[in-house]
Amino acid sequence: MTVLNGTWPKMTSSDEFRFLSELVMTRSSADHTIVRLRDHHAGTTRFANNQVIQNVDARRGSLAVTVAFGGRHGTAGTTDFTAGAIQDTLARAERIARISPVDPEYLPPPDPSWFPVRETAKPETMAAGPAKRLEYANEAIGHCRMENIMAAGVVSSSATAVGIAADNGLFGYERRADARFSLTVQAGDATGWSAAAHRSIDHLRIQERTLAAIAKSKRGRDAYELPPGRYPVILEPAAVAGLWAWLIWSLDAKSYMKGTSPFAGKLGQAIVDERLTLRNLADHADLLGEGFTHEGLPSTASEWIDHGTLKQLAYDRFTAKVHGVITIPTLEAPALSVEGPQAHSIQDLIKGAERAILVTNFWYIRPVNPRDLTLTGMTRDGTFLVEKGEIVSAVRNFRFHESPLQAFRHLTAWTAPMEAVTSETGKMLVPAVALPQFHFSSVTRF
Amino acid sequence: MSTPAWDEFAELALKRIASSGAEYGDIRVQDSSTEHIQGEDRRIASIRDTRDIGFGVRVLYHGAWGFAASSVLSLEEVPRVADLAIEIAKSSASVAIERVRLAPEPVHRDRVVTPYRLDPFSVPLEKKTDLLLNTMEVLHLQSGIARSSASLWARRDRKLFVSSEGTHLEFDLLAGQGECTATALHGGQFASRSFNTPHLRKGYELIEEADFLREASRVADQAVEKVKAPAVDAGQYDLVLDPEHLSLTIHESCGHPSELDRALGYEANYAGTSFLTMEKRGNFRYGSRHVNLVADNTEPETLAATGYDDDGVMCQQWDIVRHGIFVGYCTNREVAPKIGESRSCGSNRADGWANIPIVRIANIGLEPGEATRDQLIADVKRGIYIEGHGSYSIDQRRYNFQFGGDAFWLIENGRRTHMLRDVIYHGITPEFWNSCDGVSDRSFRQRYGFITCGKGQPGQSGWMTHAASPARFRQMQVIRGEGSS
Repeated sequence: MTVLNGTWPKMTSSDEFRFLSELVMTRSSADHTIVRLRDHHAGTTRFANNQVIQNVDARRGSLAVTVAFGGRHGTAGTTDFTAGAIQDTLARAERIARISPVDPEYLPPPDPSWFPVRETAKPETMAAGPAKRLEYANEAIGHCRMENIMAAGVVSSSATAVGIAADNGLFGYERRADARFSLTVQAGDATGWSAAAHRSIDHLRIQERTLAAIAKSKRGRDAYELPPGRYPVILEPAAVAGLWAWLIWSLDAKSYMKGTSPFAGKLGQAIVDERLTLRNLADHADLLGEGFTHEGLPSTASEWIDHGTLKQLAYDRFTAKVHGVITIPTLEAPALSVEGPQAHSIQDLIKGAERAILVTNFWYIRPVNPRDLTLTGMTRDGTFLVEKGEIVSAVRNFRFHESPLQAFRHLTAWTAPMEAVTSETGKMLVPAVALPQFHFSSVTRF
Repeated sequence: MSTPAWDEFAELALKRIASSGAEYGDIRVQDSSTEHIQGEDRRIASIRDTRDIGFGVRVLYHGAWGFAASSVLSLEEVPRVADLAIEIAKSSASVAIERVRLAPEPVHRDRVVTPYRLDPFSVPLEKKTDLLLNTMEVLHLQSGIARSSASLWARRDRKLFVSSEGTHLEFDLLAGQGECTATALHGGQFASRSFNTPHLRKGYELIEEADFLREASRVADQAVEKVKAPAVDAGQYDLVLDPEHLSLTIHESCGHPSELDRALGYEANYAGTSFLTMEKRGNFRYGSRHVNLVADNTEPETLAATGYDDDGVMCQQWDIVRHGIFVGYCTNREVAPKIGESRSCGSNRADGWANIPIVRIANIGLEPGEATRDQLIADVKRGIYIEGHGSYSIDQRRYNFQFGGDAFWLIENGRRTHMLRDVIYHGITPEFWNSCDGVSDRSFRQRYGFITCGKGQPGQSGWMTHAASPARFRQMQVIRGEGSS
């Protein structure tokens, strides 16, 4: 039983990565050489219909070598860490670089810098193995069985060693842990959902989230159909995160400069409600902050939207250089907050609503129009009609057709930021919000 | 192809599995090479050459699965990973309610090799980068083009599959694709138009047979026309959909709901379930009599035509929808017996060595009809002709959908007139397919493939091809793809 004790397999250490990267660099004939490591060990216990259907554990180590001769560059990668394979990877990268056209946007690796040391490697998650994941899955299934409700979901945990090294002395190494739980429960035709992601597997709060999903599914029975149209809404944090993820992904500076961005011309202008602020909180214990980026830049705290005004864009290094941006901000730990008196809970938002649609989560959100950031998607796993401060009924799922830039122009009420994660977004801290108007364009039949 | 060492690794893993008391086990050893060349705004932005080597061991113990995988391919690691897979299966079995029973499959010993004329990995890189740079130059010859991109992609998978039942399969599979996109700016608006070769299991001849420079000139002209085109007026329109567009419609509204694992609830927490529930098989009217959707994992050059799936089941052809009636699912050896099927249809595929195989959409195609494309258009008073992929979204039971496209032309009184922009249509899957009243003949049939179809937890990418001829759909609800609609 030794293989299940969580110590296997041993991740590539900092010293081992330094050895591997120096091996590459001493053999490289290029002007610049960068070595990137990602050694990932992850396991997932997956269940459906109240039993485990899939139980997996995989470890993949990968090494990528980027070399440049002048402005000609190339990248090769391998999962084989033997000396011969690494030599071959370097040779392939050099072969590509020698015959690549000169890239006018090529930049040498960033200068060495100090990277913040964060608690990214929670030991309880790094040590978690199949037995722990199975225990948590059984806990969720057990609650659902007791209620005679069907559960489908996952418990996963991973440990990753990430490294970047360059021949100018740049060196970064970090171990990152990640644990996730998500659950969809089905009570007759109705479903309920809950999800969590955290550096610490002990923070998944399986019982609390399972009971929340069960409660949603019980409330979701006998959904009736409301016509499509514009409704006031209460969006739970996952629904807010789903919309804001697309806003965040659209902050690309190069598109902005070239005029192919929904924000074109709006830097320094109000784009959403003036009480909204979006920051990167890389040090926040409940977010997934990192020490450094894939490019080898330090991850920092930064402000992106300040009181509704767009303050910051996401720069690649070349665009930053062209525009004189010295410190490139990162946005891997987004936190959205609203200034002003907050409701204590989602329940308080419900109590304050005369009539609204309460949305648990959105699904399959995709852009419809990149010019104004119009998105579409469906409500999922808990959509309810609220009247006079109470949930009066479940309603059939809606499709929406709306831009977050329009929807978040004015908020009527909100909570403090809460942890939010969906199956399609990264993790954020966002409030639950009440919005006066949201466009549901069609309705489905369940 | 595989190496003698791989056979040694396989033997080692299977010995451990046999001695564990497990009823079934298999090992997949895989060496994948991918070359991706990406051009952007007249420059080659990146060239990446990636090798991904590793193995995965799958064990069925007392009716429960365990799977473990590693990129360390060695005589020490293989037994360790096999032991881990066994232990995981044993712990899964300790909480199992319903035991997995595999549909029988004959033992196969075979080699599968993708036929090709030109190995994309041996074509000089200069030739490929020149093609992309020239393509982007042509895109920019059109004065309204502000941004351009062009890319080439190729992948080779060498794989060994060995099962405890005695199946021994070797694979040397190749696939490729190329594309370019022009983005036009006009009056503060922007719009893009793309050309894509299909993803196919062919050599570099796939790229050489496509006339990139001619296509670049066409899509640049159309991007400029598109950005200046009037936005569509919302309302009811007849739609004539081209094969590339239909490939996505088929994928989302027929492919996914016909995956039996979804209908059984396995994907309920992520990709969702299916409106094509078991009691509907054989009697549910999915579409009009013109709608015949056939799964065919045997058609040469298509992505799912790999000879055998990752259960070691031989690729097959079968009906999903016949004369508008839903009749068949995509299955693997685990789920086929649950609906009384005596054999899997061979749709179990994994995204590489590190993933356990799951049910994936087959190559599903819309069977040709008898009309020409012009005949379909001629019988439309007020309609829209749609090409290519744009916005897409569908609910978790694959019922309520919304699609855009890459290019739209207004049809008036039987003639295709000018371009439109911001066209979005939405509907309910069976109502949409029931509104189909004509499909073009086989001479118009084209195939398009997908390599990023997301499913499973942890997420996996699936590969499949969807073929179609242009088809006509009556009175669909069209809305304007912008926030003010």
